[in-house]
Amino acid sequence: MRLMLGFCFALATPAAADVADALNTVILPGYAGFATATAALDQAAQADCAPEGLQDEWNAAFDAWMRVGFLRLGPGEGEGRNLAIAFWPDPKGLGAKAQAGMLKSGEIPAEFGEVSVAARGLFGLERLLYPQDAIFKAEAACRLIRATTADLARMAAELSAEWPPYAARMQAPGAVGETEFLTEAEVKRALLTALVTGVEFQKDSRLGRPLGDFDRPRPERAEARASGRSARNVDLSLRALRDLTAALAPEAAVTLAALDKAIATAEGLDDPVFAGVAEPGSRLKVEILQQQVTAAKDAMMAELVPALGVGTGFNAADGD
Amino acid sequence: MKRLTAALLITTLMPLPLLAATPEGVVANYANIAEAKFQDSLTTAQALKVAVDALVANPSDETLQAARTAWLAARVPYQQTEAYRFGNAAVDDWEGKVNAWPLDEGLIDYVEGAEVGGENPLATANVIANPKLTIAGAEVDASAITPELLGGTLQEADGIESNVATGYHAIEFLLWGQDLNGTGPGAGARPASDFVQGDACTGGNCDRRVAYLVAATDLLITDLEEMVAAWGADGVARAAVTTDPKAGLTAMLTGMGSLSYGELAGERIKLGLMLNDPEEEHDCFSDNTHNSHYYDGVGIQGVYLGSYTRIDGSVVSGESLAELVAAKDAALDTQLKAELDASVAALGAIKTAAEEGFAYDQMLATGDAKGEALIMGAVDALVTQTKSIERAVVALELDAIAVEGSDSLDNPNAVFQ
Repeated sequence: MRLMLGFCFALATPAAADVADALNTVILPGYAGFATATAALDQAAQADCAPEGLQDEWNAAFDAWMRVGFLRLGPGEGEGRNLAIAFWPDPKGLGAKAQAGMLKSGEIPAEFGEVSVAARGLFGLERLLYPQDAIFKAEAACRLIRATTADLARMAAELSAEWPPYAARMQAPGAVGETEFLTEAEVKRALLTALVTGVEFQKDSRLGRPLGDFDRPRPERAEARASGRSARNVDLSLRALRDLTAALAPEAAVTLAALDKAIATAEGLDDPVFAGVAEPGSRLKVEILQQQVTAAKDAMMAELVPALGVGTGFNAADGD
Repeated sequence: MKRLTAALLITTLMPLPLLAATPEGVVANYANIAEAKFQDSLTTAQALKVAVDALVANPSDETLQAARTAWLAARVPYQQTEAYRFGNAAVDDWEGKVNAWPLDEGLIDYVEGAEVGGENPLATANVIANPKLTIAGAEVDASAITPELLGGTLQEADGIESNVATGYHAIEFLLWGQDLNGTGPGAGARPASDFVQGDACTGGNCDRRVAYLVAATDLLITDLEEMVAAWGADGVARAAVTTDPKAGLTAMLTGMGSLSYGELAGERIKLGLMLNDPEEEHDCFSDNTHNSHYYDGVGIQGVYLGSYTRIDGSVVSGESLAELVAAKDAALDTQLKAELDASVAALGAIKTAAEEGFAYDQMLATGDAKGEALIMGAVDALVTQTKSIERAVVALELDAIAVEGSDSLDNPNAVFQ
């Protein structure tokens, strides 16, 4: 009888364990890793602000962000941190303009967290560490680099500190005073929404922007071109999305296989900034990758919706 | 038998307020309200055209002010239609023609301080000054400024969304001009002499500016007529929600949630604050953003309550989504109603502050704590109500499979090949 009861309890809670897995093996370590990487970047910048010497640390920080950057829920939505950490796309070049203003005047606000999100974070640093324009090599660039790395490390530390209590709330839905997550289904809905939105971002933005139309390819719109990270960001993001899927719904074999297929294609692409989108032969490879990402999203909807018992909710990308 | 027939007759013929709302009744009312909102938008756009004609015939401070007043009045019903976006393909596919934003206004007319720094090579094309343009390597004859040129060639030229040549914001730019006050007080200050023919013309090319204003206003009317018809008795938009009431209910909640969260709270309000950019306000030339946000909020609430107050003060109302939700989960209905009240109040606080002289673009200034508190109050209220809108989707069993409507769900094998 006792054994039976125990068995029943075990059956009643496997779903909770999945959410816990997602949080404890993917999300929380992801934010901790980002905090560590940005702290190292900031430490290096405060010691020596020469741009070339900071590229490795900056790339490590960007790699770490790819583990969690697609999560548009929780502490990252507070104070615009998700926007400030990685403001892209920026079709009007607002970030470059705001930085150029600071570099020309030499006036860099002490309260750097108050500066426009477009001018901060990983993309603000990319323009300074891989300068494509003389203004980004101005005398004040060193101070701007240091202000930006310090601000980035601060935000990462805040996320790393605020996520564990948020994760605890996600594991206690319906607790007294809890308004965001009333049931476990709502927690799963939030995570599924993050997954689907994350896959769509690869398809529509990281791949879709440079692809443009066949007649009007837009290689200049690829993400992180100056540092040569465009394809790497897709690859690392797909891996992170795969890991979160595997933690949340390990039985989702079709989705995991679809993601693996896309990851393999991204790995073998040999087109780091999607420059090939302008030539029919090499363009086809990027299109195939985009189709595989689309297939992964379709598999998610077909497989994870019934597996988790929830649909997707509204997301931050619902606007236009 | 006789009795039964009598009972049936009563049910059919008599209005019975005690009868529960049905999905069929709710979507029919939703379509009626859409038709009324777009009709009011059309009526106010026609009044704008009268004012524009008067401005063109006799440019003066008075006629310019009258045209601006007509534009502001036209925004009131239109913004309340925005809750019909996202869920209704007929509206969503169309709305960019009338309300696309943000725009690189240098495509249209002279601007100060614009530089080609972003992705748009046409950001300073200034079609009013240039009868010949080069778009994506091809020469374009823009000597005649017509609705066809604006809608067919310039709108989204070269596939770039910020090339907005038509709609409310293009007209707004022509009536007000650039707001050069940054996050300081003051809106755009285009002089009436920008529309004067002959030597007194300021800003150059007044004939082409007048032609542009007239063409854009005519096109707005044509486009609104199309949407009034789409919600009319035989319209496609009406049919889409009434032939399948469940899809109609989904469209209603999708519109409410997407406008609340991703579009309004995110893209239009929070992003502008985080960028501290005075151009990141929805009605940036006229400094009318407080009204534009407020009436968006009123429109979202109206979808839920099944009610709309027309420009003549009459009310269109009927069976509501609220009644359907209350029948399933009374507590959720009470909560969502309170949250919709709260978001309208928070947007109303911004409106009141702006009307008292604290303009929306001033609220966006770096480090302006009072403005940030007002704006974040609205963002938080909109985000909060989105959660309850999601819960309403679940309560009405419109969740997941129906909402996504993906081919892959109808035919799972399609994605496994």
